[in-house]
Amino acid sequence: MTMENRGAVKSEIESIVGPDNVSSETPDLIPYLKDSYSTMMGREIPLPDFVILPKTTDEVQKVVLLANKYEIPMYPRSYGVNIAGSALPYKGGGMVIDLKRMDRIMEINEDTMTATIEPGVTWGRLRKEANKKGLDVIPIGGPYQTSPIGNHLLTNITPYSSKYNCDRAVTLKAVLPNGEILRTGSWASALGGDVNPYFRYAYGPDITGMFRGSMGNFGIIVEMVERLRPVAPVENNITFGFDSLEDCMKAMQGIERLEFTRTCQAYNNILTAHILLAPNRISIPGEREAYLKKLAPFQMNLGLGGTKEMVALFEKIAGEEAARWDGYPVLFEGEDKALLDQVSEGASRGIMHMYAPLSGFAAVIGCLPITHVAEINDIVKGIVKKHDIRDPISGEPQEHELIVLPYDRCSTVYVEQEILYDPAADRSTLEPVMQCLRECYAQIVGKYGASHTIPNKTLMKMMVPSYANILKGFKKMVDPKGIMLPGGPYSLE
Amino acid sequence: MLKDYRDTIYHCLKCGACRVAYGVYAPICPSGIKFGFDSHYAIGRISLARAVLDNEIKIDSNLMRRVYTCTSCGACDEQCHDAVGIDPLQVIEELKSAAVDVGMIPPEVRDFLKHMNVHGNPYLLPSEDRGKWAEGTQVETFSGQEYLFYVGDVGSYDERAQKIARSVAELLLESGVSFGILGERELSDGNEVNRVGERGLYEYMAKANIELFRELGIVRIITLSPHAYNAFKNDYPQWGGRYEVLHYSQVLARILEEGKIKPSGKGDLEVTFHDPCFLGRHNHEYEAPRRVLNAIPGLETVEMERTKGDALCCGGGGGNFFTDMLGAGENSPSRIRVREALETGVQVIATACPKCFNMLDDAVKTEGAEEKIAVRDLSQLF
Repeated sequence: MTMENRGAVKSEIESIVGPDNVSSETPDLIPYLKDSYSTMMGREIPLPDFVILPKTTDEVQKVVLLANKYEIPMYPRSYGVNIAGSALPYKGGGMVIDLKRMDRIMEINEDTMTATIEPGVTWGRLRKEANKKGLDVIPIGGPYQTSPIGNHLLTNITPYSSKYNCDRAVTLKAVLPNGEILRTGSWASALGGDVNPYFRYAYGPDITGMFRGSMGNFGIIVEMVERLRPVAPVENNITFGFDSLEDCMKAMQGIERLEFTRTCQAYNNILTAHILLAPNRISIPGEREAYLKKLAPFQMNLGLGGTKEMVALFEKIAGEEAARWDGYPVLFEGEDKALLDQVSEGASRGIMHMYAPLSGFAAVIGCLPITHVAEINDIVKGIVKKHDIRDPISGEPQEHELIVLPYDRCSTVYVEQEILYDPAADRSTLEPVMQCLRECYAQIVGKYGASHTIPNKTLMKMMVPSYANILKGFKKMVDPKGIMLPGGPYSLE
Repeated sequence: MLKDYRDTIYHCLKCGACRVAYGVYAPICPSGIKFGFDSHYAIGRISLARAVLDNEIKIDSNLMRRVYTCTSCGACDEQCHDAVGIDPLQVIEELKSAAVDVGMIPPEVRDFLKHMNVHGNPYLLPSEDRGKWAEGTQVETFSGQEYLFYVGDVGSYDERAQKIARSVAELLLESGVSFGILGERELSDGNEVNRVGERGLYEYMAKANIELFRELGIVRIITLSPHAYNAFKNDYPQWGGRYEVLHYSQVLARILEEGKIKPSGKGDLEVTFHDPCFLGRHNHEYEAPRRVLNAIPGLETVEMERTKGDALCCGGGGGNFFTDMLGAGENSPSRIRVREALETGVQVIATACPKCFNMLDDAVKTEGAEEKIAVRDLSQLF
């Protein structure tokens, strides 16, 4: 974009969002270039031309139409919790569309147990408002300050996935990259859609699902009808310890097939220790070692809900099933229990502690049958050892973090393994971590397939041509000028 | 030096915890709320600090406009410390200090520092006027009493704050506390000079105060302002100035509990307390003001949603009370705070800081809410 063009375009943007809500000044642009991904990869991200703060769908649509007119790349972000490199302006120039100001909760509907929200609404805020009506969110395992809409574009994995799978988005309204407004599910109806936007599986294929995992390629979601859950009269979280991962997984499978849990997740002791001790106690000499000694090597947390009698019965049944696999009840107290309860319920602060020992993490993620979990845990362990990856705090050989979340009563599980590093250390110490990460992905994704957040270029190579062609074809249809997210690892160019 | 904070800067996770109050789930950064761009939140300022450190950008006045909208309220620290273990405010203030060192500060900050340097106060008024607030009262000049009542720049020169100083002093007199003031010999505590990054001048001012206190034999200080309280309590010891420092709310709480004063109150009133950042977040004193309110007959305290460590700053810290880098507008934090207080349905916003008082009092007028709510200092509710 030439300087003259830039000035003219800026004037047009100002006329849409107001002069206070657009900036082309370098100090305002720089913060949108850096996230954990770009800093880990050492990737220099070029400056965009503008950052824009629209407030309404109408403003977003006008900005998108303007972008089409001048063929300006667009990089939208919801609440801007940006750690995976999915919202960076990779191509150079273009506009970052920061949607924080679109923060309305339009409706919480007690009958349909849904909330209609904009992208600047966070999990935490939605939870607070839903709780006032006896409802709760079905949030991700990640932190409270993220956006449900942003998460829908990413993966949707949650501690509630065993019960609710990852279908919590009901319908959505999006501004497509070509400037058209799309509504999905029952909301798609031009006749009664606004009256009944509460049914996902209406009118043919599941277009809401097309956006899940799309990483923002197909448009800017400006509103979404989000599924909520009823809060039970009694809700409780319980924990069982296991000495082996195999036993822990067997117990998880057994319990999930009995279909009574609200949430379910398993961790290794490293992850549990980090949740409890990071960020401020973990560096105290001997503290982590003491916790590792007293924690079970693996633990499974279950969220239970129902009447008092139901919860008591569920606890008894879970205990019996865990005992079948040599599991034993583990009691946490005080702050430790509060932290683990937070993590169990999702959208927490505590889950950030898994990254917080020093904020550097390389995630190896796979979704696969539960029978392979122990195997891929060993694969990562072996690769970490082979590359002699050190614990960034103690300098001792690193043991990676492991978390397992079941989908759909354990038909599949989500496995995330974190290799930690110190982003402030010399970059030469990071290279082995990167090699390790690449090798883990090559072995695990190459062998077992399914994963999340794999760069699209890699996915395109891995997938059968017809699948790739459908994605590319859809992208071309809604974004004929290729202006949505060009240049980045998640771009479907 | 900024490079001393390299680890902190590089350990920022970019998670945005600094923007939102956990549990309340509301935005918490006053400048971020006002301007919206990440450059006005701690998350963005850490990115800017990193860009400076990595020589990607040079410090200039334009960059620093984004940094100086920070009110030093500490809300980002309050959130990030428990989430990721970083205290972003240290980095932000280091950036301010670096800007002062290279002379790249916005004109508003330059003018404030010039006034402090030349006049010793931001009001450009003579030191002879400092004790005028006490005229007509029984308040004495310090001459070996148990406590120094330190009033500070705002209490000395600002009309509304002078009234607060008088009401506090009268309560202290009534309860028999032995205290005196410095009057025209009082010097600025320098807290705001420090917060805008002029550390050399701050040290000079602090040492001048320490020397004066030594000369007069002052060892116990009651402050009107939480900002002075913070400076004397946390910063002066590094230069040898060690005192028993109390904020007046702590003294009032104590004398009420000792029965040395019997407030009659102002009738039945519902009141909400706005926590001053330099009393609360910076010094963890949340209870003393509430103990005072609870001891006054007829008052019922209703908490705002954002309270104590999650309280939204009024916008007057970090030198902004004088530089007004945040500016006015519907999204100015003081106006948001007033609207938040109105939601509670109370008739009074109580506070314990002359800067907060002025910020909120102005905001009540701007919001056109004078008929619904009034701002009162704790001492004005007895």
